[in-house]
Amino acid sequence: MKIVVLLSAGLHPVSGQSILPKVEAQALRLALALGEARGRHAGPTAFPASDALGHGLPHLVHVEIPAEADPVPALVATLEADQPDLILAGRRGQGGDETGLAPYAVASRLGMALVSDAIAVERGEADGTVIVHQALPKGARRRLVVRLPAVVTVHPDAPAPRAFAYGVARRGIVETRLAPPGLPAAERLEERPYRRRPKLMRSAPACGSASERLAAAMGATSSGVANVMVNPTPEEAARAILAHLRAIGVLPPKAA
Amino acid sequence: MGAYAFSALIFAMVALAGWQISRRVAWWRLGAPAEVAWGRGLLALPRRYLVDVHHVVARDPYASRMHAVVAGGLVAASILTALAVLPPLGGSRLYWAIVALAFSVTVIGSLLVGARRYPRKPAKLSAGRFQILPFLLLAYAVGGLISAALLAWGGASAATLLPALALAAAGGLGLAYEVRRGPMRHAFAGALHLVAHPRPGRFEGRPDTALAPLDLDAPKLGAETPADLAWNRLLSYDSCIQCGRCETACPAFAAGQPLNPKRLIQDLVAGLTGDEASYAGSPYPNARPVADDTPPLARLIGEDARIHPDTLWACTTCRACVEECPMMIEHVDAIVSLRRHQTMELGLPPEKAAEPLAELRGAGEAGGRALSARTDFAAGLDLPLISVRGEADVLLWLGDGAYDLRYGRTLRALVRLMRDAGVDFAVLGAEERDTGDLARRLGDEASFQDLARKNVETLNRYRFNRIITADPHALHALRNEYRPFGGDWTVVHHTVFLLELVEAGKLAPGRLAGLSVTYHDPCYLGRYNGETEAPRALLDLIGVERREMARSGKRAMCCGGGGGAPVSDVAGERRIPDIRMGQAMETGAQVVAVACPTCTAMLEGVTGVRPEVKDVAELVLAAMETPR
Repeated sequence: MKIVVLLSAGLHPVSGQSILPKVEAQALRLALALGEARGRHAGPTAFPASDALGHGLPHLVHVEIPAEADPVPALVATLEADQPDLILAGRRGQGGDETGLAPYAVASRLGMALVSDAIAVERGEADGTVIVHQALPKGARRRLVVRLPAVVTVHPDAPAPRAFAYGVARRGIVETRLAPPGLPAAERLEERPYRRRPKLMRSAPACGSASERLAAAMGATSSGVANVMVNPTPEEAARAILAHLRAIGVLPPKAA
Repeated sequence: MGAYAFSALIFAMVALAGWQISRRVAWWRLGAPAEVAWGRGLLALPRRYLVDVHHVVARDPYASRMHAVVAGGLVAASILTALAVLPPLGGSRLYWAIVALAFSVTVIGSLLVGARRYPRKPAKLSAGRFQILPFLLLAYAVGGLISAALLAWGGASAATLLPALALAAAGGLGLAYEVRRGPMRHAFAGALHLVAHPRPGRFEGRPDTALAPLDLDAPKLGAETPADLAWNRLLSYDSCIQCGRCETACPAFAAGQPLNPKRLIQDLVAGLTGDEASYAGSPYPNARPVADDTPPLARLIGEDARIHPDTLWACTTCRACVEECPMMIEHVDAIVSLRRHQTMELGLPPEKAAEPLAELRGAGEAGGRALSARTDFAAGLDLPLISVRGEADVLLWLGDGAYDLRYGRTLRALVRLMRDAGVDFAVLGAEERDTGDLARRLGDEASFQDLARKNVETLNRYRFNRIITADPHALHALRNEYRPFGGDWTVVHHTVFLLELVEAGKLAPGRLAGLSVTYHDPCYLGRYNGETEAPRALLDLIGVERREMARSGKRAMCCGGGGGAPVSDVAGERRIPDIRMGQAMETGAQVVAVACPTCTAMLEGVTGVRPEVKDVAELVLAAMETPR
C-alpha cells in the first residue's frame, strides 16, 4: 500500500513560529502504523514540514513552489505521477491564511473519496480497503470500510504524535522536486475591511411586547426549546401550565 | 628462607592483581575516548584521596575508621613484607616485629569489616562477594601476623611457618584475584578514577556540575551501549564499592520508584563485560520486568533490555547520589547520556514529556503559553522592560515559575523588595524564553542548545551588570551551562541579592519574632552551586527561629521537581514531596522556607495539615511590614 501524508507549513497557535501542525504529526503516526509512508509538501521551503522527519517520516518529497502559489495543482501533479493508495492529511489548516480545503481539492481533482476526521486507520479484510474510525461530535465514533484509493483527514483525537527526535530527523531524506511548469497562480482572496452586521435573534418572535420577546429569547437559550404562547386565552394558558406541571411530576398524571 | 617465601607471596599477589587489572583495562578501553590531564591528576591524587574522598567517607565515622585501619594496615603490612627481600631487613628480627605490628592492625581492621556485616548486614550494603571479603582479609592478616611473629621470635621452622604462610596466601591471593570482579576492584579502579576523573573541577573547590554540551553532529547522539560512554566513565563505575550511600540519599528510591543509583551503576558495569558477578544489593524498588539475560555491549535501556526506561526517567537529577558517593562517581551524567539517546535517537522520551518538549520547540516555553504572558503576574506592578530602557543595573530573569499563580506571589514580593531598595532593574518581558533546563535534563539537547543560543543572543544585546533570578534552575543554566554558548554574566540568586541589600542597609526588615521556620535547600542552588548560607543568613536577620531538617544544606533531600520528574511521572509508592514535607514537619516549624519555583510547587502540592510554604523573599517582605 502506497501511503502519502500531506504536510503543511503551520504556525504555532500562540507563538506564531513555523511548526508542523500537530494533527499532521498525528496523521503521520497513523500512516507509519499502516506501513511505509512518504511525506508530501508543496511550498517555498521544506521547513517546517521537514520536522516530520523527526517524528519518524523517512522520506519527504518537497515540491518547490513560490510562496504565493497555490499548492494544490503542484500536489495534484506529483500525486498523479505517484498514484498513492491512501493520502492522509490534517483536518484543518494551521498556517495563517490557509483555507484548510487542500485535502478536499486534492481528492476532488484526483477523483478520490474523502473521509474526514479519522482517529484510527487499519487495513481492511479485503484487499484494497481500509477501516477508518471516524470521530463524530460529542464523542461518538463511526467505523467505516473505505475502498482505496482515498483521502483521509485526521482528527485531533487521534493518538498523540510520536515525539520529535533530533537524531531521527537527521537520518530522514528530503527530496526536492521542482513544480511542474505552467501551474496556475493561486486565486487571490479579495480583502475588504470588516463591517459590523446586525445580529439576528432567530428564536425571538417578531410580535408581542419587548418583555415578552426578551423572555422568549431567554427562555429559548436556557431551555433549548422555545415554548412560548403569545396572548393565549386563560383556558389555553391554564391547560399548558397543568400539562407542564404534570410533565415535571408536580401533579399526578391525568386519570385516563 | 621463610622470609623470602613470605616476601615472594606479596610479589605473587601483586602479579596476580596486575594480571587481573590488565584484563579489566581491556574492558575500559572499549569506551569512547576522553581527554585526561594525566600529569595534573597524578600530582593531585594524594590530595584528592586524603581530602576530598575522606571528606565524604568521614560522614559515616565507623566506615571511615574501619577503612583507615584495614586499608592502612593492609598496604603497610604488604609493602613492609615485600621490602623484606632486601637481606638486611629480611634477616632482622626487629623488622619482622614491625611487620607483625602492621599485620595486627590489619587483623583489627578485618574484624571491623566483619563486624559491619555480621551477624546482620545493613540493607544498604551488598551481599554476595562482599560477604566473603572479611574472611579473605582476616585470613591474610592472621596468616601474615603469625608468619611475621614467628620470624620475629626466631622460632620459624618449616612446620610452623608453612601453615601460617598458606593461610596468608589463601587470603592474599584471594584478595588479589578479587581485583577484577570483586570488592577489591574499588581500590585500583578508585585510585585511577581519582586521577582520570571526568570532572576535575570538583577537587578544586568549585562546583563542577554543568552538563557538557553534546556535539549534535556526532554520528550517534547519547549513550546507547556502555561502549558509548567515555572510558574514564566506565572506569569510574568500576570503582563502586556498593556501600549503598547513594540509595539511602536517592529520593526516587525512597519514594518506591524503580531507581536505585547503586544498582544502575552495577547494571552499567554488567552491561559492559557480561561476566560480572551477579548483583547482590537492594534491587530497584518495584522493579519493572526487563530482559532476563542480555549480551555484553548491548543496548542498555528498554523493556527488552537491561534497564527499564522507568528507571531512567525516575531520576530527578538532584545529585544527592553524587554528593554522597565516596568514590566520586557521577551518576547524573550517566543518566543524562542515556536519556539523550532515548530522546534524540529513539524519540522515546517519557510519554507525558513529549508535549512539553514539543512546546519548547514551537513556543519557546514548556506550557505553550505566550511569552508575553510571563509578566502577567506583575499586573499593576509596572515592570520596566529592558528593551525600552536599553540598559539596567540588574536584569531580573523571571523563569517559568512566573506563569504559576502561586509563584507569582513570590515574584511580586521580590519586585516590591527591589523597588523598596531602589534597585535599578528591568526584565526581558516577551523576549525571555525558557532556559531549556527541562529539555536538557530530559535528554533533548538539541532544543536546549537552540534555546541557549537564542537566549544568549537576546541577553548579549543589552547592557546590565548582573542577572538576578529566583529560579535556581535558571541560575544554573545561565551561570554554568550557557558558558559554552557565549553566555558570560554574573548570575546571582535572589536570596544572595536580598542579603546584600539588607547588609548594605538598603532594606531594613523588622523581626518576625515567634515564627519558626525550616529552610529547604533547592538542589540546583545547594548541591549544584554550593550556595546554602545566604538564605539562612537572611532568615536569621529577620529574627525567625530557624530549625534545620536532618537533611539540609548540600545534603538536603530533593522536592521531587527536578530533572523533568514531574512530567515523567513515574509511578512509585509515595510522593517525594510528601516525604520531604514529613521531614520538615519533624522539625515542628510553622513555615517551610523555599527559594525555588519548583520546590514551591512541589511542596505546596502536599495535602493535609502541614506547615505553610513561603519563599524567603515573601518572608523578608513580611518582615519589612513589621516594626524593627
